[in-house]
Amino acid sequence: MKLSSFLITLLLLIALSLLAGCQPETERPTYTIGYMNCNSEAETIQRFQPLTRYLGEKLGVNFKLVPVDTQDFPERFKAGEFDFTHTNSLLYIILHKEAGLSLVATERRGEYGSRTAGAIISRKGSGIKTIDDMKGKRMLFGPQLAPSGFLAQYDLMLQAGFDPETDLSYYGIPHGSFKHEKVVYGVYFGAYDVAAAPALDLETMAAEGKIRADDFNIIGQSRIFPYCTFGAAKRLDTDLVNRFQRALLELTPEVTVELDGEVVKVLDGAWVDGFDQLVDSDYDPLREMARRANMPPYQEF
Amino acid sequence: MPDRFDMLHLVGLLVVAGGLLLLVLTPQPEAGAMHGGRLDRAMEKQMLARARTDFLKQTYAPVVDLTASGEYAAALLKLKELGREYPGEPHGDILRGEILLAQQAWQPATASFVRGVKGNGDYVDAKSPLSRYESISRVVDEGLRQVGAQVKQHPDNSSLQETMRDLYYLQSRLAGGCE
Repeated sequence: MKLSSFLITLLLLIALSLLAGCQPETERPTYTIGYMNCNSEAETIQRFQPLTRYLGEKLGVNFKLVPVDTQDFPERFKAGEFDFTHTNSLLYIILHKEAGLSLVATERRGEYGSRTAGAIISRKGSGIKTIDDMKGKRMLFGPQLAPSGFLAQYDLMLQAGFDPETDLSYYGIPHGSFKHEKVVYGVYFGAYDVAAAPALDLETMAAEGKIRADDFNIIGQSRIFPYCTFGAAKRLDTDLVNRFQRALLELTPEVTVELDGEVVKVLDGAWVDGFDQLVDSDYDPLREMARRANMPPYQEF
Repeated sequence: MPDRFDMLHLVGLLVVAGGLLLLVLTPQPEAGAMHGGRLDRAMEKQMLARARTDFLKQTYAPVVDLTASGEYAAALLKLKELGREYPGEPHGDILRGEILLAQQAWQPATASFVRGVKGNGDYVDAKSPLSRYESISRVVDEGLRQVGAQVKQHPDNSSLQETMRDLYYLQSRLAGGCE
């Protein structure tokens, strides 16, 4: 009799502890991930919803996805709006220096894996084949805080003794979304003489058959540097950050989540091949570029 | 006394037995033909291998030329374009590995060589016309030195460990190890 009451109590205790483990979503802690908009807010939400759901399931917490405009990112992060960040590598080094953002994982996508580069292109047959040939020409850049669409090319020209501010007749940045594609098409259709194209966008457009390799002269390409990066605010618990990192590094193309009744592949949905664990010093080539180009976080007036 | 039906059976049996005997005793003209067939097949195999090598060299010539002149970005773009026609072709993976290596992109370069070698073992065969034995040896030697030093600094880094695994795989294939 005594033994059976002991067993019943034990079973009740086990059941209670199991129930405690299954914390309902409403009682889980909520953390915010700020995702930098690449092309548009709608695209950011569509791309990163499955990944955000996966991370929440894996860590047993709620994650709120917040699409953020690139220019607003530093200010909003410093105001404590985001616990985790997904930004380009230039924003990572800015937030690392100015607000103690720590490196979590780097996105792997395209030929260079977790690295990327910036290229300067002209249309084949234009006669513009070198940086010297660009004197007095019209150039189109990507957004100003884009490492592979602005900084890399700006630095490439400076290193060749070419000052974009005085040696080009004009340079501009396209309006609205899908700036990188607009830049490539700007040269393709002859509206501009040269353009600052991210290597990844050229590669994707060639793979999709939108452009042909023979359509362009590649005047120059920067050295490679890290691609888009996940970071964590310094106030976060180390164990949470480590689990977040592990969840990203363990992601394989087969991992799926259910979203609005649909089973979605997480990496495919985010247009990502996987995640790599880099170290902060891997970002030094980009820091050198930012210093030479007098750009944040090293800008001096 | 055997009746007519028995006689018919007996004659039938004799005809079958005679036929079998004839088959057994007849010299086999097949031996020579088989030897010829084997020769034909060997030649056919060699012709196919040569045609494949020539085809690959011709198709990927623009990539090789661009790489040789140091135009790595254009070479990668051309390779991407060819990938639309020949997706998963190991020759493309090997060339990609060489271009990425020239740009010091160790991790994707090593992964690309691994894909190429897994797709076609000729690239680690020193005697094959497609052989990249020398360049893959260099990748392994230099990679183990460089990435190995990084792993010592960051022993928990899973991405560096993955590259080391790729390098060890290539090393084992160069040494003649199978899949």
